[in-house]
Amino acid sequence: MGRVSRINRKKVWSAVALVAIVGLLLLPVLVSLPALAGGGAPEAAAPPPDAAKPPDAAAGKDGAPKVEKARDVFYKTEGIVSGAPAPKTADNTQFYPRYNFESRVLLWFANQQHLYYGSFVLAVPIFCMIIEFMGIVSKDKAMAKKYDQLAYDFIKISLTAYSLTAILGGILIFTFLTLYPAFFGYLSSIFRPVMHIYALLFVAESGTIYIYYYGWDKMKEGLLKWIHVSMSVVLNVIGTTLMMLANSWIGFMMSPAGVDEQGRYLGNIWHAIHTALWNPLNVHRILGNMAFGGGVVAAYAAYRFLSAKTEEERAHYDWMGYIAMAIGVAFLIPLPFAGYWLMREVYAYRQQMGITLMGGLLAWLFIIQATMIGILFLSSNYYLWQALGRMRGAEKYQRYIKYLVFVLVVGFLIFITPHTIVMTPAELKAMGGQQHPVLGNYGVMSAKNGGINVIITTTVLSFIWYQRGNKIPTVSWAKFGNIFMGCFFGLAYANIVWLAIYGYYIPANVRVGLSVPQVATTLSCLFFMTALNLVMLKGAKESGPIEWGKISVRSQYALIMLATAFTWMMGLMGYIRSSVRLFWHVNEIMRDNSPWAYTHTTGFAANMISFNVLFFWVTILFVFWLGTLGAKKVPVEAKVAVPGRAPQPVGGH
Amino acid sequence: MTWLKLVEGFMPMQMLFELTLCVGLFALMSYLLKKNGLAIPMFWQGVLFWLFIVLYLKYRIYPPIPFSVRAIYGTVALVAVFLWMSATEADWKKFKQPILNVMDAVTPFHKHLRTGYLVGIPLLLWGFAYSSLVPSQEEPIELRTVHPAPPASTKVHGKTFVLQTSSNPYRVNPEGKYDQEFTNSLIVEQSMGRLMKPTANPWDPKAEGYLKYVREGGEVFFQNCHFCHGDNLNGRGLHAFAFNPIPANFTDPGTIAQLQETFIFWRVAKGGIGLPRESFPWASVMPPWEQHLTTDEIWKVVLFEYWHTGYYPRTWD
Repeated sequence: MGRVSRINRKKVWSAVALVAIVGLLLLPVLVSLPALAGGGAPEAAAPPPDAAKPPDAAAGKDGAPKVEKARDVFYKTEGIVSGAPAPKTADNTQFYPRYNFESRVLLWFANQQHLYYGSFVLAVPIFCMIIEFMGIVSKDKAMAKKYDQLAYDFIKISLTAYSLTAILGGILIFTFLTLYPAFFGYLSSIFRPVMHIYALLFVAESGTIYIYYYGWDKMKEGLLKWIHVSMSVVLNVIGTTLMMLANSWIGFMMSPAGVDEQGRYLGNIWHAIHTALWNPLNVHRILGNMAFGGGVVAAYAAYRFLSAKTEEERAHYDWMGYIAMAIGVAFLIPLPFAGYWLMREVYAYRQQMGITLMGGLLAWLFIIQATMIGILFLSSNYYLWQALGRMRGAEKYQRYIKYLVFVLVVGFLIFITPHTIVMTPAELKAMGGQQHPVLGNYGVMSAKNGGINVIITTTVLSFIWYQRGNKIPTVSWAKFGNIFMGCFFGLAYANIVWLAIYGYYIPANVRVGLSVPQVATTLSCLFFMTALNLVMLKGAKESGPIEWGKISVRSQYALIMLATAFTWMMGLMGYIRSSVRLFWHVNEIMRDNSPWAYTHTTGFAANMISFNVLFFWVTILFVFWLGTLGAKKVPVEAKVAVPGRAPQPVGGH
Repeated sequence: MTWLKLVEGFMPMQMLFELTLCVGLFALMSYLLKKNGLAIPMFWQGVLFWLFIVLYLKYRIYPPIPFSVRAIYGTVALVAVFLWMSATEADWKKFKQPILNVMDAVTPFHKHLRTGYLVGIPLLLWGFAYSSLVPSQEEPIELRTVHPAPPASTKVHGKTFVLQTSSNPYRVNPEGKYDQEFTNSLIVEQSMGRLMKPTANPWDPKAEGYLKYVREGGEVFFQNCHFCHGDNLNGRGLHAFAFNPIPANFTDPGTIAQLQETFIFWRVAKGGIGLPRESFPWASVMPPWEQHLTTDEIWKVVLFEYWHTGYYPRTWD
């Protein structure tokens, strides 16, 4: 009786805790509601005390304050001028206090490190949520326990990273305040309410994550477990909102709205948040964070696999690496499409910006980006091929891998062929013009869309082979299913290649639209073929178990490569996105008059990105090491690699 | 290998087709040899395939591919060979074996080979180092931005044109309205062949509207531009080879086909001298045509360039 009431009491307190957290989350939003609805609360709308008064804000003839109106640079709506113009800075220490070092590089470093950790701690709780939920709904007790342990392992890694994120955020703000006070002052004068909500949400996030982590053991059964998993939903809602608020600042810097031509705030904070590029940035960043987080956790698993002393450990970390990689790649696949949407919006916002990115000053960085994307896909495919090696019966697929390599590499080569070729004047002369008559055709978008879609479709094919590795379909229509699947893939490749060729013969605006059927083809392969495969494999005969831990060492290096490539690419794309503003702090509103308003050389940027990547990996290795310090015992509780009943990872093994 | 023609218009697909065919043939040969007990060792399969790719790019494709691109392709091909060789544990072992044999000096022959490598590899590295350090007479590489970002607007003959929103005033339908659909429909084929419908001949004296403007643009082109850009608009005019680089080839899908008409208008009006800073080293001697042509003539010549090449100017939704 006493036990029951104790449990009930626990349930009540858990519910109270959850409600309190949700309340804490909603409180700042409620407080700031007038600012959102009414176009700015009085205190939010008022100009900063140090701001110069707008000339027409003086009292009118009849003594009543005269209201000045101006037009929004983006929305073209009229609004009441409620802020000072963007400061006109000059190259002196008043606007740009400095050490004897390039301030921009210091800021770059602080920003990038904060972003790496921020992305990681935003992504990992999403994995935890998914994996914990899978554990709850899993009917197999042993599997449920394994999933739960895995989710716990994930959150454990992210907890240390969480404090580092906060520390790096503090360093970033100090860097902004001390090195770019005029710019930061202007930005915060517009986003003041948003920044307060941001800070309060951070408090809510911290509270939730600590209760979520430390309450893991106390809330492991029944209703309490459901409350626990729902806390992870709350955690992720807060995390995603945090990210979207931070995105609004960079969105404003790239494509300002909510201000007039002089940069005067017009009182509508929603306009300043909801700029032309905000939503594409949000989608791209959420997907990117997930892919990056998957990569980092996979690298952690690889590190633990390589340093494992026992078979059990190896089996566990092999499995963990596989799941993390699968999650990472699941989000990597839609990432190019989200990137495409972002670029499209950039072009729609300012053609000039689009050309600077893709055809002009920063075009070479996009070739490097294409190379990194290719490396990501090659590494993922390589990992899947290696993973076939831990299944008995997968030999029937392994012999065809070389053809997949060929198709992948051809797609990759087209994808990375530069439009503007680096060459000596003698080579230019020998070539007879700026464009090569054969390879020049690979340098344009139509071919590249074909290339990347071929790569993704081949990755789907590799995954389907992996799913089938140790299985023989026994459904009566297996033969028909196989033929259908073969034809589907064949036609998909033909359609992608045909559309890529057809793209040369039609107007550019129609060509841009061609990416839709291409992407649809690729996604059809992904969804329909994976689903068909799963149906075919229902009740399939197993030709042997999956021997977790028996994967090659090379596969683990592929995972580390994958994670490093993610990190490098994130640094690169962040740099591209930021430097496309050229000499503007806020595009066309606030000019950067510091001595560092020039675009870095490609070589310098690449070195800087590499340094950031190296620094991140050194510090995250420290975080991993801390994770091992806290480990009391080997986290595997279920027996693994038992013939006939192997642990089943995501995807139905 | 210029005797084996790369067919104009099909070159990129021809190259891919040839490579696919070769891979198919190699697979077949390897299968047949293996069946007859003459299997080529994995190591040599990898090395030979990589050499084939390198040689194919160097000698098969013409005009010569610049080294930077061949280096990218060669490196990726090397990665591909590694992926292929190490895809399965059995293949990886077979691939490594000859290397391990040399390193372990399993036979006297391998021992000699190892000694040879010990001397040869440092020599090779020395050669690389020497050739990269020795002063070269060659002009340095120029990272030239061919399509610089255009300005938001440009002023020609006192009138400001916003590049994003302006349109060619002569791309009009018989009613005199701007109409891409109408003008595009008069082009039936895009390649260096016939481009016009039999009923849409700009040189027909009775041609009106869009076609008449194309003809007028053509007259401007042949009076001013073709000396450099060529009769076929392929950048190989009478004076073309006096310049380095040679003038832009409009028939290439990477030039005007990628750009808005307003971009071309801006480039023609401002010439090489009006290139923005990012286009350093401004390797263009095209005159600023606004000093010689009227605004209308520039628009018409742009119209003609698209008509002649069969490309459509880039437009935005």
